[in-house]
Order: sequence, then C-alpha cells, then structure tokens
Amino acid sequence: MLLELKNVTVPTFDREHIIVEDISFGVKEGSIHAIIGPNGSGKSSLAYAIMGLHTYQLSQGKIFFEGKNITELGVTERAQLGITLAWQEPARIDGLSVLKYLSLGMKDKANIKEQAIDALKTVNLDPEKYINRYIDESLSGGERKRIELAATIAMRPKLIILDEPDSGLDMIVIEDFLNIFNKIRKLKMTILLITHREDIGMVADYGTLLWQGKALITDEFAEVMLRFCAKAGLKEFCKRTLFQNEKTCFGEDYIDKIFEEERNS
Amino acid sequence: MSKEQYPDEILQSLEDYNIDIKDFLPGHGKGAKLLLDFNKISGVEEMKGVVLKGREIENGIVADVIIKEGAVIEEPVHLCFGVKKQSGIQQIFPRIIAEDNSEVTVRAHCSFPNADGLVHKMFGHFYIGNNCKFTYSETHYHGEKSGALVAPVSYMYIGENSIYENNFNLTQGTPGRVKIMLDIYAMKNSVIRSNIKAFGKGKGDSIRIRDSVFLEGENARSVIKMKAAAKDGGEVLMYGITEGNAKYCNGHVECQEIVLGKGSTCRARPFIRAIDSTSTVSHEASLGRFPQKWLDELQAKGLSEEEATDILVEAMLKEE
Ligand SMILES: Nc1ncnc2c1ncn2[C@@H]1O[C@H](COP(=O)(O)OP(=O)(O)O)[C@@H](O)[C@H]1O
Ligand SMILES: [Mg+2]
Repeated sequence: MLLELKNVTVPTFDREHIIVEDISFGVKEGSIHAIIGPNGSGKSSLAYAIMGLHTYQLSQGKIFFEGKNITELGVTERAQLGITLAWQEPARIDGLSVLKYLSLGMKDKANIKEQAIDALKTVNLDPEKYINRYIDESLSGGERKRIELAATIAMRPKLIILDEPDSGLDMIVIEDFLNIFNKIRKLKMTILLITHREDIGMVADYGTLLWQGKALITDEFAEVMLRFCAKAGLKEFCKRTLFQNEKTCFGEDYIDKIFEEERNS
Repeated sequence: MSKEQYPDEILQSLEDYNIDIKDFLPGHGKGAKLLLDFNKISGVEEMKGVVLKGREIENGIVADVIIKEGAVIEEPVHLCFGVKKQSGIQQIFPRIIAEDNSEVTVRAHCSFPNADGLVHKMFGHFYIGNNCKFTYSETHYHGEKSGALVAPVSYMYIGENSIYENNFNLTQGTPGRVKIMLDIYAMKNSVIRSNIKAFGKGKGDSIRIRDSVFLEGENARSVIKMKAAAKDGGEVLMYGITEGNAKYCNGHVECQEIVLGKGSTCRARPFIRAIDSTSTVSHEASLGRFPQKWLDELQAKGLSEEEATDILVEAMLKEE
C-alpha cells in the first residue's frame, strides 16, 4: 500500500466536533482510488488531514505513506515525501505567474519552461496561451483548476489527492477527464480522487464510500458505487452505468439485492 | 564612451535587477541617457526632442531634463545614479520639464550595490505641461549590506489634461533607511497614478514614504497604490494623502501591507480630504498576514513556510 489510514479520526480545530471518525483504508500504488460521498460527508476534511494541514490534525489513528508513519509530519514534509493536493477551490493570487506557479514544486530546476509546457499539455491547456498569464481573477474557475492540476503534476509526486476536480467547471466533458487521468496514470502517479459524482468516479479502480463521516466500505469501485447508489436511491442510474461497464457487469438481481439490503438497514 | 568606463559592479547590479544595461550604455540603445558614477558625470547622450544637461557640484550634481514641445519619445530616457563606493554623500538636483503635448517615460536607476552607510539625497522639481503623457519610474537597489540612507523630496506640477504615472520600487536587497516625500499637484482634467512598493527586511530597515496628491483643478483624478511588506524587524510607514480641492475631483488611496516575523511594523495611513461636495476621495487598506490557505497551497508543493511567504511577497510586490 502506498498510503494507509488506520482508525483515523479528524475533529474540528476546536476539538468540539468530530468530522470523520475511525477511517481505515489503503491506496494501492499506481491505482486511482476514489473517495465518494455526498456533500458534507467529510471528504475534503479527510484530504486535508492526509495532506497534514495544521487545522486538521488527527485526534486518533495513524497515517502511513510507503510504510512510514507520517502522522506527526507537517505539510511541507509530506509534500517533500511525494504527497500533494489539488484544492477544490485553489486560491487566486495577483502577481504570481502561471510559469512561476508551475515551477514551485519542480524537483529539477533546469528546463523549467519545458516542464511547465508539458504539464499544461497534460491538462489539455494550450501552453502558449497560459504560460505568461497570472493565477488571478482573470482565469475562469475551470482554467484555474486545470492549472492547479498541472502544478501538482509538474511536481511528479507519488500521490496526488484531487479534491473534486470537476466542480466549478463550466462544462464537464467526461472524455476530457478520462484523457487527463490516463495521461497521469502513464506518469506513474497514484491518484486519490475525491468526488460526489458517480460518473466521475467511474475512472477509479478502487473506492471508499464516505457517509456522514464514516467509511462504509472500501472495495473495487463498482462495488462501492453500487452501495453509494443504493444509499442515494439512484437505481436507474446504477443499472444503466453498471451494466454498460464491462469491468463489472453486475446482474440486475444483484443490484436489486443490494438496494433491498440498504432499504432494510 | 565604452562599457569599461562605467563601473562593472553597478552594471552587474542593474542586470541582476533584470534591467537590460545595453539600453543605456552610451553608444548603445537608442534612448537618451545620463550616467552618474558617484558624483562624476560619466556619460550623457541627448536625442532629438530631449535635452539632457548635467553639472557637477560639491557632493553631487544638478541634472536638467527637458522634453521639447510636442516630442513623442519612444525610447525611455534613462537616468542612472550609480555608486559603487560603500559610503559618501550623493546629492541630486533633478529639474525635469515636459513641454506641452509631449510624451515620454523616464527611468531612474538608483543602484548602490556596495552601500554601507551611503547617503543619497534628492531634491527634485518636475514641471509637466498640458496634454502630456509622462511616466517616471524609479527603481532602487541598495545592495545586501546595511543599505543606504536615502532621502528624496520631489515636487511635481502636472498640467491640464496630462496623464502622469509615478512608480517607485524598493523591493530587492537591503533598503537601509529611506525617507521619501512626494507632493504632486494635479491641474484640470489631469490623471495621476502613483504606485509605491517597498520591502523592509531586517532590524536596520526603516522605510517611510509620504505620497501626497493635491487635486487642484476641476475633474482631476488620482489613484495612489502603496504596497509594502516588512519582515524580521523591518519597519515600513506609508502615508497616502489625497486632497480634492476643486470641483468634480476624484481620488483614491489604496494601501496593502504584510507584516512577517517578530518586531516588524507596517503602518499605512490614508489621509483624505475633499472640500467640495462634488468631489470624492476614498481609501481602502488591508494589513496583516497572507491567508493560511495560500500558505498551505504553496507548502503542499513542497515549499517551507518561509519560502512560501517569500514567493507571496514577491508576487504582491511585482510590477504591474
Ligand atoms: N474547520 C472546520 N470547522 C468546523 N466544521 C468543519 C470544518 N471543516 C469541515 N467542517 C464540517 O465538516 C463536515 C464535512 O465537511 P467537508 O470535509 O468539507 O465535506 P465534503 O468535502 O465531503 O463536502 C461539514 O459539516 C463541515 O461543515
Ligand atoms: Mg469538499
């Protein structure tokens, strides 16, 4: 396992409330692992805790990265070990150029421009149009998020946590996403994909279902999605997508059984 | 004059500041230029429409710059006030006149790469005529030792319908002690933009800037933007003064500051006044630290908190 969470509990900064409780799962090296759950289920908080943000310290549990206990490490140290996070809503900063921003995490400080151009191409942005711009309000939400993703890719991290990469995009083109994910996969980076959308999650190999601060199951993604759909009452969607997906091919009776179980629980 | 006749160290420090020195080495570049090596005039090049005269006096020079009526000067005029010595006194008396309908950019480079107790004083008079477009940019570099004592005082008269832009940058190296006083008088329909950026980095650094705009003519408009950062005991005090003294004037003062590390002070004070009910003068100030989220985002790329802060300061002070 590249990343492993053992009984992780994350409280609010004032420690008055618990945001996510007793979470355990592992992320396999080279995989796309989705964390799926509705809004408010604690996905972003869990991402921040994995990244090591000061305001999301664990009150219980441990986090391991490549077998090493990183629970006590800060953000910078975790980033230097190869973990990074593409924020759900990355900041706009006047005066910080796209080129400079992309270069921040590059390990190889030679050929910065070439590396930046490659990173922009990976996220399907035209390098010529963007490299000399600034990460300020002049970028649309979608452009800013793509640049965020490019900046994390330019770091060549071992693990990228993507917090709702599709949110705030003007138009979601699923093919475009699949194309980007495939390119990242080729670069041998592991992705922890956070989403509340079933269709985006479909690129994942594995998944964890987060529901009201608890991790309900961790399994192959189709299995996780089936549970998610059962909880959310999305039977039609579930049948349509899971039948079409050759990886899974659940029988209709199996889907009905899971929905039935969910109703009774 | 060849490159050899101007101190290499000064040229190097300018290059470090991303200034293309070829622009103003005499015999190179198209623009008019005046080069000062401490208190000795080491090169002057005039061009059509630009009169440049320097006269050496005790401890300094008098520099006259005249942009002739109707002249539209494409290449910037460079004034290079370099000092390679550590200490001493350099006093500059610039007298700058832009005749009616002229357009020009004047760049002053105050480069003191070895400054350690150096004193640089300036007493400037600017007279900008009617219908002019005039940009004056002054960039300072005071080396990495204790910096310099720098005290420029300037009076600027901006004629009717003219656009005047003033830029002052002191963001790299060690500033030392800096006291700047600027009075700009804006006539009818003129537009003033003044941008000031300063970064105090240590205990010995004290930067005080008083930038005043007096909107004296009808419909005169101005924006003062001051950005400063102070870290590790540095001090930056900025006063942005704007008075609307005529009808339909409009002025705005914006101060943005970041304070980092123990014992640093940053104070930005807008002083605004409008004596006519048809005039408006407004201000906006922000003071503090960078948002934690910004730091987190940069740190998640592997930067330390200090590196992240430096990147953010650099971005904030970046030339627009
Ligand atoms: N810093 C915080 N202080 C208090 N409550 C928080 C904080 N961060 C998150 N929460 C709460 O925790 C819950 C989960 O939030 P979040 O992790 O953003 O969920 P998701 O990303 O799944 O939408 C929400 O109810 C949210 O209000
Ligand atoms: Mg979220």
